[in-house]
Amino acid sequence: MKQVVSVSLGSSKRDHDTTIWMYHQEIRVTRRGCDGDMDRAMIMLRELDNRVDVIGLGGIDRYLVVNGKAYEILDARRLAECVQSTPVVDGTGVKAVWEYWVINQLVEQKIIVPDQKVLLVSALDRFGMAQAFYERGFATVAGDLIFASHIDYPILSLQELEKFARRLLPEMVKMPFAMLYPTGSAQEQLSFDPIYDRYFAQADIVAGDFHFVRRYLPDELSGKLIITNTTTEEDRRLLQDRNLRTLITTTPVLDGRSFGTNVIEAAIVAATGVMPGQKQWEDAVRGAELEYTVTRLDRV
Amino acid sequence: MTMLQVLENFARECNSNDRLRQMNREWNRTIVIRETDSGNAYWLRSQEGTIQSGEGSQFEADLEVEGSHDVIRSVFSGEMSPTEPYNAGDLLVKGRQDDLMRLDIITLLIWGE
Repeated sequence: MKQVVSVSLGSSKRDHDTTIWMYHQEIRVTRRGCDGDMDRAMIMLRELDNRVDVIGLGGIDRYLVVNGKAYEILDARRLAECVQSTPVVDGTGVKAVWEYWVINQLVEQKIIVPDQKVLLVSALDRFGMAQAFYERGFATVAGDLIFASHIDYPILSLQELEKFARRLLPEMVKMPFAMLYPTGSAQEQLSFDPIYDRYFAQADIVAGDFHFVRRYLPDELSGKLIITNTTTEEDRRLLQDRNLRTLITTTPVLDGRSFGTNVIEAAIVAATGVMPGQKQWEDAVRGAELEYTVTRLDRV
Repeated sequence: MTMLQVLENFARECNSNDRLRQMNREWNRTIVIRETDSGNAYWLRSQEGTIQSGEGSQFEADLEVEGSHDVIRSVFSGEMSPTEPYNAGDLLVKGRQDDLMRLDIITLLIWGE
């Protein structure tokens, strides 16, 4: 059986071990969280090199790809360079192809409609999703500056998002990753500061990275829809308690949790041998028969 | 150009940038900047979206920035982003991480690309 392991900078509380079927192959999928400890992640990556089929990097993106231009996060490169032989992926290739497609499918199926207002908590790490929302005419607030940097400035267009990316990312990718994104126990922390509640209140759809969503989650989510992934049963209970109407996870739910895109990407690479960036990549993602999951929490 | 002129120019660039004025409208902070080699100190104050500058260290600082004259001048004149000297330990910043990040973003929005 092929085996993929996701080494995550996130909390080890979210570790899991299961098998999935892809391209008629059974693939063992393991997640190992390092609680934000870069050194521990490096040791783990060196140990896994040459012992598993593909390694996923979780809790960190190696590349932020904005309109075809890739910005490499230096801390992620340091992690990836610990591995000499085994392919290492970060989920960027799945996000770019699959999440763009998912948003378009949700529109086609009228599960979401363009007159709904969207809060995309972070767009620079999921440009495909952002692009789909803006192209389809959704009034979309990209909250990268708000939720990652606590600068109360909503980004309102794809052009502005691209401009910020060109200006900020070449330097910001050099920063310690923990300054850009919560890692380890920081992922478990909840902000009880209601300062950004209004952005949630104004949105019909909240989308993007679940750690940002969870951290700033307001008490009341009646009538709202969240599009995200990496949710667990506990997360679903939390969202239900806050009266969320619908949860859509862009990656399949197995054993009660939706996987990170790095895990799915690692499984696709293990099953097909096609790497992100290769010309067959888009076909490899589409051929994986991924399914998003729509859950009505108000009817559970 | 003197350091005070560099900082005055930095403040002017911020104040003439509508996006930065909007971003900083609720960021009320005092930044004290110290040159480790000369001992000179300067300040920047952000108040309701407007940045002012001056000499001395008479204010209580929310954010303290320390480095050599050359590093400080390069950062606040846009010749160098703060990230590299910060990562190399040539620029010391004491204060909240959010404020450091914002200072970085301000310099990149003025001089990035």
